[in-house]
Amino acid sequence: MQTLISGFRTTLSNILSNKQTLISGFRITLSNILSNKQTFMLCVATITMAISIFGLFLLLFFNLNGLLSSWNRDVQLIVYLDDDISASQKENLEDVFSNNQQVESTTEVSRETAWAEFQSNVSDNLKPLLSLEFNPLPASYKIRFRSSDNRLSHIREFSKILETQQGVESIEYGEEWISRFEKFIVFSKIFLFAIGGLLSLGLILIISNTIRLSIYSRQDEIELMLLIGATPRFVKIPFLLEGMIQGLAGSVLALFLIGGVHYYLKSEFQSSIDAMGMDFQFIAEPFLFGLIGLSVLVGLMASYISTFQFLYLLNKK
Amino acid sequence: MIQVFNVVKMYDGSNPVLDNISLEIPKGEFVFLTGPSGAGKTTILKILFGWESFEKGQVLVQGINVGKLTHRNVYTLRRSMGVVFQDYKLLPNKTVFENVSFAQEVIGHDRKTIRFKTWEALKNVGLTPKKDAYPAYLSGGEQQRIAIARAMVNSPAIILADEPTGNLDPDIAIEILKLFEELNQKGSTIIFATHSQEIMKAGNHRVISLNRGKVVAS
Repeated sequence: MQTLISGFRTTLSNILSNKQTLISGFRITLSNILSNKQTFMLCVATITMAISIFGLFLLLFFNLNGLLSSWNRDVQLIVYLDDDISASQKENLEDVFSNNQQVESTTEVSRETAWAEFQSNVSDNLKPLLSLEFNPLPASYKIRFRSSDNRLSHIREFSKILETQQGVESIEYGEEWISRFEKFIVFSKIFLFAIGGLLSLGLILIISNTIRLSIYSRQDEIELMLLIGATPRFVKIPFLLEGMIQGLAGSVLALFLIGGVHYYLKSEFQSSIDAMGMDFQFIAEPFLFGLIGLSVLVGLMASYISTFQFLYLLNKK
Repeated sequence: MIQVFNVVKMYDGSNPVLDNISLEIPKGEFVFLTGPSGAGKTTILKILFGWESFEKGQVLVQGINVGKLTHRNVYTLRRSMGVVFQDYKLLPNKTVFENVSFAQEVIGHDRKTIRFKTWEALKNVGLTPKKDAYPAYLSGGEQQRIAIARAMVNSPAIILADEPTGNLDPDIAIEILKLFEELNQKGSTIIFATHSQEIMKAGNHRVISLNRGKVVAS
């Protein structure tokens, strides 16, 4: 393993210090690609499929994460007020809210606003039933909290404090629902990370094996290059470059494919998911470049290991 | 030019393939290397171009001690040689022109030189009309001529030919022999491994005979 790593470092520094060899290597790489079009395209297609699967997973991951975050932000505590709450009691209540560091925002909802919202949400068929001469709904405060690990326990404690305040009729925060929701978020993240980890491993194995097979199928070519006097560096360069090009081409094609899927899904279903407060996002830029970089790196390493192994076996003879 | 002193080569510690072989081939000579199958012809050629190691002895090629070469510098020896194989070893996905120019690309010639020398080499073997053809569409004789063109394109001092006429008809084999003789007249040292008596009779050159890893006649 150490020989492999030190050999890779030496090869890379030799290549970079000799521009003529590099230029010549690019020319031979291009010639090799054109001579072995079918093998090259097969490799690129396999890499494209592998990265597309991973990319679609990332698409799902980001959007699911976004949805969960959006639902998370919607979690709130509602403080219903007595109808006869005084101004000083209201002021006192607002001081309690502002003194709590975990409170992100507070929204006051008057009785009239609450009644108007209720009527607008009710079906038209039921509206005749609501022709009341009085407004039965109380005024309230809607309180949103900052994200934290112990948010639920904090909401629970805060609600106990609020219950003892004068002017407060009742408190509502859907305790059971929040508890289940937070467990679901944790479970989802672990599950997604586990799948992501397995997919990444699978991706690396698929890309590296595809490239190794393509190199092994050209053993005769490597042997011939050595027979006619090529240096070991000269033998390796075209294969290293080809591996990198395969990784780059495969990943770029995959991203176009994923982009197409994203465009289709967004144009067909964005209006439907608007109600959930969700915007169908594409993969974040750092991850896009990371995906391309990973593919190029795996292509490079797979090519290096394969040519190293083959040359090692030849030299052992 | 080529000196072999008491070379012993064994595979897996069994009976030696080359058993204390010594021979000398002066510069510019044409030599047939003959013997039955398993005599050691191919092995001695592989040792001469640094493809096989050996257990004992010394091999000097143009003053280079072959036994001291490592995989990092053996290419210097191979660049001074051209090698022709019985199975031609042409790259199937490259055209005739690309197969011959490949030998110059690996030693770093510029494109103008590559084009010129490749054209000259193909002219010498009479295959310029086929320069854009792929090996699969050529006859055995034509493929071997391409292999010879590739071997001679860098004007090597030594050309090693391992049974180059083994897969060819007698008439074509004689044509191939004549090509090698032309190269020899231009100054290259030729070692031509063969077990064909007809070829050796047609060639009338020095013969080194091997049998069971030993030189039995020279």
